[in-house]
Amino acid sequence: MDSQLVEARALEAEITALRRACVEPPAPGEDTSRVRKSFRETYQADSEGWELSKDLRSHLGHLESEIQFLSTLTGISIRHYSKKTEDLTSTEMTEKSIKKVLQRHRLSGNCHMITFQLEFQLLEIQNEESLSSVITDLSIIMEPTEYSELSEFVSRAEERRDLFMFFRSLHFFVEWCEYRKRTFKRFKEKYPEAVHLSEGASSSCMGIRNPSRPGFELVIVWRIQIDEEGKVLPKLDLLTKVPLQALELDKNGVIETAPLSFRTLLGVLGIEATLESLIKSLHTERVMVFRQSRPARTGNRRLPSPPP
Amino acid sequence: MELANTLSQDGESRGGVLAHLERLETQVSRSRKKMEEPQSAQAEESALGTRIHELRRLRDKLRAEVKQHQASVKASTTNVEPDQTLEITEQESLKRKWENVKAILQAYRFTGISGKLTSRGVCVCISTAFEGNLLDSYFVDLVMRKPLQIHHHSIPVFIPLEEISAKYLQTNIQHFLFTLCEYLNAYSGRKYQADRLQSDFEAFLAGPLQRNSLCNLLSFTYKAEPEGQSFPFCARLLYKDLTTTLPTDVTVTYQGKRKYCTFCSHD
Repeated sequence: MDSQLVEARALEAEITALRRACVEPPAPGEDTSRVRKSFRETYQADSEGWELSKDLRSHLGHLESEIQFLSTLTGISIRHYSKKTEDLTSTEMTEKSIKKVLQRHRLSGNCHMITFQLEFQLLEIQNEESLSSVITDLSIIMEPTEYSELSEFVSRAEERRDLFMFFRSLHFFVEWCEYRKRTFKRFKEKYPEAVHLSEGASSSCMGIRNPSRPGFELVIVWRIQIDEEGKVLPKLDLLTKVPLQALELDKNGVIETAPLSFRTLLGVLGIEATLESLIKSLHTERVMVFRQSRPARTGNRRLPSPPP
Repeated sequence: MELANTLSQDGESRGGVLAHLERLETQVSRSRKKMEEPQSAQAEESALGTRIHELRRLRDKLRAEVKQHQASVKASTTNVEPDQTLEITEQESLKRKWENVKAILQAYRFTGISGKLTSRGVCVCISTAFEGNLLDSYFVDLVMRKPLQIHHHSIPVFIPLEEISAKYLQTNIQHFLFTLCEYLNAYSGRKYQADRLQSDFEAFLAGPLQRNSLCNLLSFTYKAEPEGQSFPFCARLLYKDLTTTLPTDVTVTYQGKRKYCTFCSHD
């Protein structure tokens, strides 16, 4: 009986001890992240950093969505940016409380199908009254290089160190390109046999033929030009391809004046309606006669912007 | 002092042990008394036996549980170590990403159009420059609602904002922003040129530079040489196209000694 009693007491004591051992560490099946968290809390290397980590992730997400929004708003996606700063303040300048800093920026990204890489230098001079920032150097690399109109524009922008004009004109240029592509595609879909795009949808020329009247072709050349001021203007021209016999029959010189009349028509109907009427004209049985009224307006004044 | 404490501690513990022993003694004596009654003793014995049995069972069960806990704790602590190094590099890459993203957001101002998200929508900042000189910035606070609205802005009143927004704001916001950009950059450029004319060519100007708020109509009198007896010229610059920084019409009138210039208000 004594021994039993002793054993009983010993068992009770052991049980209490074991119970205590069970409570302290976390029970199995619970999240190991809790352990990780406690470990994290005890880690001393960058305690501030650890606190930031969770906030960083959510903040990063917020910033990334902001970039996405900006890229949608402007149509320009910046993929990479870096900056180096060089302090050019001399001791004389510091005495006069003038600060001179040279920043070297590198920027790359794309605007739809065109990618760009820019490097420019920004000189900042701060004196008591004001801060002046001047772009002292600008170099631009653009792809694709198939848009020949762009190379001239790029060198002009570099010369004038006009960074904003570069982006503005780039945007309008791309907008016009997209509109041209959409328009050509639409006509191709609507009149598949009549319309011929030599280089596909992104070509700058659209040919109109009538399969039942071979030999006749109207070619519309639609160039997008950027002028000296950075203004983007579409320039459309009509080229006619006509068999010699037809030329001989053309007493009124309709074919000859077609390009000019085309310009007039553009001014009156706008681009899409003009192109459509040309396509239809080649398909009618009746002969279309271009009325030669007053001489066509010279040059392409500011045509309306491309519709959305 | 310490010795006394330990003694007293020991004394206490001894007291504790002694008391315990005393209790056991009384229990044993009690149980001895009970043993004199065989039936109750037996019953008690069997009760105690079962109790020990149960206690043993419980102890074994708890032993097993504790072993399991210890094993799992060990496992999780060993797991933490490699994860923790992963955490560091993860944090580093996160920080690098964050810095890169922040830099890109800053870089947007070099496109001429940048913005910050607001609770209502977005506050767009349009920057202007002329010949590489960075000039004023203007902002437009947009409310993202259908229809899109301009909450407030810092665009000068003589820029045709209503006209531009009526044409493009609802249908093509990019076009709206870049067109506004055009007007503002042109205005900034004209203003800059007029300011520089006034300040840098003061010696050449024979009178004040007259201009309108849009800076698209300038008129001034100037001399070909700062000193000397050259006759003053009257110049009038008109910029019909508000999106350019070059004038569309320039009139220069030359007068002898007679008053002629209609736009100059001096002799």
